[in-house]
Amino acid sequence: MRLNILDMTKEFGNHRVLDSVSLYLEDVRSLVLIGPSGGGKTTFLRILAGLEPITSGEIMVNDHRLSCSEEKLLEYRKHIGMVYQAYNLFPHLSALENIILPLTRVHGMTKRDAEDHARSLLKRFHLEEHAAKRPVALSGGQQQRIAICRAVAIKPEFLLLDEPTSALDPEYTSEVLDLIRELHEEGMDLILVTHEMGFAHSAADYVLFISDGGISAQGSPAEIFEQSENHRVSRFLDKVLKYTK
Amino acid sequence: MSEKNSLQALFLRPKNWQMDSVKKENVWILSVNVLLVGILLSALMWFGFSRLQYVFMWEHVWYYRINMINGFLMTIVISISSLGLSVLLGIFFGLAQRSRIHMLRIFSRIYIEAIRGTPLLVQILIFFYVIANALGLNNRYVAGILIMSIFSGAYLAEIIRAGVESIGSTQIETARAIGLTKRQTYRFVVFPQVITRVLPPLAGQFASLIKDSSLLSIIAIKEFTLAAREVNANTFSTLESYIPLAIGYLLLTLPISYLTGRLERRYRYET
Ligand SMILES: Nc1ncnc2c1ncn2[C@@H]1O[C@H](COP(=O)(O)OP(=O)(O)O)[C@@H](O)[C@H]1O
Ligand SMILES: [Mg+2]
Repeated sequence: MRLNILDMTKEFGNHRVLDSVSLYLEDVRSLVLIGPSGGGKTTFLRILAGLEPITSGEIMVNDHRLSCSEEKLLEYRKHIGMVYQAYNLFPHLSALENIILPLTRVHGMTKRDAEDHARSLLKRFHLEEHAAKRPVALSGGQQQRIAICRAVAIKPEFLLLDEPTSALDPEYTSEVLDLIRELHEEGMDLILVTHEMGFAHSAADYVLFISDGGISAQGSPAEIFEQSENHRVSRFLDKVLKYTK
Repeated sequence: MSEKNSLQALFLRPKNWQMDSVKKENVWILSVNVLLVGILLSALMWFGFSRLQYVFMWEHVWYYRINMINGFLMTIVISISSLGLSVLLGIFFGLAQRSRIHMLRIFSRIYIEAIRGTPLLVQILIFFYVIANALGLNNRYVAGILIMSIFSGAYLAEIIRAGVESIGSTQIETARAIGLTKRQTYRFVVFPQVITRVLPPLAGQFASLIKDSSLLSIIAIKEFTLAAREVNANTFSTLESYIPLAIGYLLLTLPISYLTGRLERRYRYET
């Protein structure tokens, strides 16, 4: 994917969350965002997802220029997949219906094609036995995996994931990360916010460290995780990794 | 099992009894207790009436039975029509409170607060003698249905607003993220969930509507209560007129409260 961000600023009221951020990246297949909580990672991701108009600046994502009008952003959102921390699935619909809804209502597929497509996706990720279940009947890990299926079912240009495992019981973390890795290996481009540093290290092409209203550090995983001289980064990594060594 | 324990089992539910354990209680135990409560209530009533030294004259009221039945049917007609209309009003004003148009929001707020903050009796009098008159609305039955709809609509608006607000903002955000338009979000995400959530309070509101419509008798609408009052006025048989009245209202409201309970339970298991 290609990202070209120029002087992007985002304010909520008079609270400036991102302050003239610029970034140019080409041929990145998985971009990982790390950083302290409240640093602006979610805001950054929601902007890239077309969910939040920016206050000023310019953004090009692949061939799309992100505009400020909701209609154009709606059109843009049809090309991307987004997965949140939790509660991604609609509780009144079964797993299968959750996947079918955007296919039929947004992407104009017939009910039959959508169902075939959804079933084959569930089957591929060993979730077919859960097709008829409502979210309440599913574990957190299963819910997240189905949410990811729904996001990729539309064949998005890339997948945005905001801490997809943070709200899960630890035992479910690996099944979700495995699925993400599998998708990535099959060619799905990713932008991922995560606190799973091990996964970030191994899966990322490029890492952004977001704090204090901008990108405080960036580089390859090796540069960020092993050789960073930025004291903010090393302090953050020390804290996050304290009990994992 | 000792004698004391079996006595206890007859009158007390076990300590570890839980709402959720769907286990049916022993039918026999239940019927004995129902019977005992029935005997107690009858004794109380018998005592009350014996002090009153009231002589029941059912044949007077029986003579007017057609009036009573017509009144009963009129109450049903008024309640159902008002329910239909008030659901429309409730949906409109419930959603209007979330509108971007300031005047619409303010108007709904005033409507809801004014209706919920004043007695129905006052509303009936003002609407009938002031507003309906000014509008040249002469049919008192239409006026009655309108009043009840406006009254009930204010309560339904609050029920529907709460229902819509109970759909979490994450769901709305998710709907946006997968590319649904605002209209589609309401249609496929919000409404299907709101309907299951508001059904129980809606049923409760219907029961209130049936009882509250009795106040329409003051503007001479021949519904159930007015029928009973007329029978009483003609026969001077107060209890013989009003006891069937109470039973008639119970016949309508008990099935609804049973239905409400079932809907509430079903909803609890669904979430
Ligand atoms: N919708 C919003 N309205 C106002 N402030 C917000 C909103 N979303 C985020 N913020 C603020 O923006 C800052 C960054 O938040 P966020 O992007 O969620 O950080 P992170 O995901 O890195 O924890 C926080 O100070 C947060 O309070
Ligand atoms: Mg966040």
